[in-house]
Amino acid sequence: MHRYMIRYSKKDPARYTAHLDLIRELERSMRRAKLPVAFSEGFNPHPRMSIAAPLPVGTEGLAELAEVEMTREVEPVQMVESLNAVLPPGLKVLEVAAISSATPALMAALERADYIVRLDGEDLPAPLPNAAIQEFMTRDCVEIRRRGKDGKEKIRDIRPGIVKVEVLPAEDGLCLRMELKTGSVMNVRPAEAITALFEHAGIKVDPADLQITRTGLFLAG
Amino acid sequence: MDKRLEKALRRVQKPGRYTGGEWNAVYKDWPNTGVKMVFAFPDVYEVGMSHLGLQIIYHAVNSREDALLERVFAPWADMEKQMRETGLPLFSLESRRPVRDFDILGFTLQYELSFTNILNMLDLAGIPVRRDDRATGVYPLVVAGGPCAFNPEPLADFIDVFIIGEGEDAVNDLLDACLESQRGGENREQFLLRLAKIGGFYVPSLYRVEYNDRVNLEKVEPAVAEAPAVVNKRVVTNLGEAAFPTRPLVPVIEAVHNRAMLEVQRGCTRGCRFCQAGVIYRPVREKEPQTLVRQAEEIIHNTGWNEISLSSLSTSDYSRIKPLVSELTGSQTAAGVNISLPSLRVDAFSVDLAKEVQKVRRSSLTFAPEAGTQRLRDVINKGVTEDNLLEAVSAAFAGGWQAVKLYFMIGLPTETDADLEGIADLARRVLERGRRLSRSPGRIKVTVSVSSFVPKSHTPFQWEPQDNMDELKRKQAFLKQRVRGRGLVFNYHDPEGSFLEAVFSRGDRRLATVLEAAWRAGSRFDGWSEFFNFERWMTAFEATGIEPAGYAHRRFEYDEILPWDHIGAGMNKKYLVREHRRALDGEITPDCRAGKCPGCGLCPTLEIKPSLAGGETVAPLHDSLQ
Ligand code: SF4
Repeated sequence: MHRYMIRYSKKDPARYTAHLDLIRELERSMRRAKLPVAFSEGFNPHPRMSIAAPLPVGTEGLAELAEVEMTREVEPVQMVESLNAVLPPGLKVLEVAAISSATPALMAALERADYIVRLDGEDLPAPLPNAAIQEFMTRDCVEIRRRGKDGKEKIRDIRPGIVKVEVLPAEDGLCLRMELKTGSVMNVRPAEAITALFEHAGIKVDPADLQITRTGLFLAG
Repeated sequence: MDKRLEKALRRVQKPGRYTGGEWNAVYKDWPNTGVKMVFAFPDVYEVGMSHLGLQIIYHAVNSREDALLERVFAPWADMEKQMRETGLPLFSLESRRPVRDFDILGFTLQYELSFTNILNMLDLAGIPVRRDDRATGVYPLVVAGGPCAFNPEPLADFIDVFIIGEGEDAVNDLLDACLESQRGGENREQFLLRLAKIGGFYVPSLYRVEYNDRVNLEKVEPAVAEAPAVVNKRVVTNLGEAAFPTRPLVPVIEAVHNRAMLEVQRGCTRGCRFCQAGVIYRPVREKEPQTLVRQAEEIIHNTGWNEISLSSLSTSDYSRIKPLVSELTGSQTAAGVNISLPSLRVDAFSVDLAKEVQKVRRSSLTFAPEAGTQRLRDVINKGVTEDNLLEAVSAAFAGGWQAVKLYFMIGLPTETDADLEGIADLARRVLERGRRLSRSPGRIKVTVSVSSFVPKSHTPFQWEPQDNMDELKRKQAFLKQRVRGRGLVFNYHDPEGSFLEAVFSRGDRRLATVLEAAWRAGSRFDGWSEFFNFERWMTAFEATGIEPAGYAHRRFEYDEILPWDHIGAGMNKKYLVREHRRALDGEITPDCRAGKCPGCGLCPTLEIKPSLAGGETVAPLHDSLQ
């Protein structure tokens, strides 16, 4: 088997494509590109492909990661070209790299994700003071409620997963840059961190107004 | 527009329904395209995108340099809420422009229970729902086509022009007429007169409709010389050469059918007496197998789908089905592409086909005997015997399938409880057969699905009343009692939806007020059980003083004027009367594919002939009934 890591972007309109639909779209794209994708065995073979840290619907991704196995070797540059010729609007492959079969799965190696979060002026009831952010970052515990897979709500401390929050200049409203832990050990969703931050500052914002872009995913080591 | 749209998209459950961006979507240069049309499917994205007609029209229009076609679907309740709150108007998926900016807005009418969505979409687009209210002001021409256009009357007050019959050629005539009308600087009235002269175009404002009492029509007649007394349907003469989309749109979110569709033939010759599709797609026109093999390759290449469905009303009737399936399994299956046969005849031959295409027996096989006794199957002219069914299921069970689905209709003309007993008997016999033949008898499952008969225009049963709802419920309960036990599953729908279907399928222009009232009271997506509210409909009927039973439960007389008499599907009305009488006498009428034309009158009226692969045809009788 030949393993490849794919770095790609997911912008409008593809940012609205949900995870399972994205998998199907990539599968069809690989077939359109006539790439020798490897399939799992069994009655219902599916392509040996996975997406690291699926994006929530609506969140834009500038440098997402996926990995795929091929039955024979393909030149990475050629894979970039042939995929970009058949990807629907909004999806674009930026880079492909061969990875050795010994490397652990991308998902397991994932450590951090960076985000840009924008809020329009009209959606921001009051300016967010810089001091509030600093204060927030000095807290040693930020508890949030999260619904688990079993449907039960659990209280979790996400503070260890918030690496950095900073304000970027914005013409209108607010623009924040955040570094958050992501992966199987510690995983913080940007909307959770932002909501906790605004709660801390005593400002009420509607999470649906957040315009979120994931700018990068980073592997450990 | 964009900011509001973005905000809305972040607040709805499936934003992908509204964003477009499919592979093979066509984006054209708006200012430099002569005529702009938007295709409106009055149901949700996933349903509409599974529809072959949309793909055909999309391809037909967008292949032209001087025209563009974009899409819009009915917004789901969450999106409608966002749109109404923010004033975001209904917009197209491709250019995200307001629907109001287009020259033509074309609805497809696939089922009666989508009618309220049409009104809702017009309203969300900022277009007055009634055509009279559009007389002043600049609005797109509102066009509608599809199966329900064969009785257009309940929608006549809302739609400017109906296109009767097949759309791929007619839509080109529409666009040409629009371009010419623009060049000539015509006003709406002149444009409509121009359209009325085109074959298959029905302009409802150009007809006078009179009623003699609360129940019957007195007359329907053209009010101007341009409008024909009868608008005959359009048919495509050479299907193999007609526009067929080999670069279909690939839905961005999982559609109801997420696979390539290859139409192998159009039309069905079996002549089931309840079936409207069999009438409106007549005569049968087969495509050549070489054409199909080539189109299959192109579609798979252009989409990346791994499944291709050979679609038609009855795929195993296609005369070259065997060689076609062999050829496709040879070339496509080798490349990892599955073939599916969605509509199989009830016989062993069809099961053999299914065996050939399905190496893994995942799903169940579906058969539609429609009625439980030979007597009633003869009444409806369903050429299926109990032996056919038992042979078919035997082949299925022996071939490794463990589940079969059987479709039946209840409330058919002349039906008695003995026919219902027949359904239960058949189901039990099929189950026994399965247990005897299968290696794991305990896992055999037989599902019986019953739908309620809805009388449809232009069929031999158009005069027949629907059973009232109490009677349908009684029949369902009767069957539920008998189709039970291990290995048997019984499915049915509440009869209220079928009742409304019957009202609208046999309705006239007076229904406009009810439709509007129900929609204003909140009716939408009536085909979806989570939205359907029957009481709201009944309130609307009461408020408007319209008696729905007069449409659904009344036996229409042979000599009365039917609301759709001025719409021609090609079959002679006298032939339909004869077929109706034969039905009541339990006499069957043979299939015209076998080479013997029973003289339905369609071929001479529409100047067409059935065409089979290899250039064969049937010699249609000259109308002996006129
Ligand atoms: S006229 Fe004869 S051949 Fe033509 S569709 Fe009718 S029955 Fe068939």
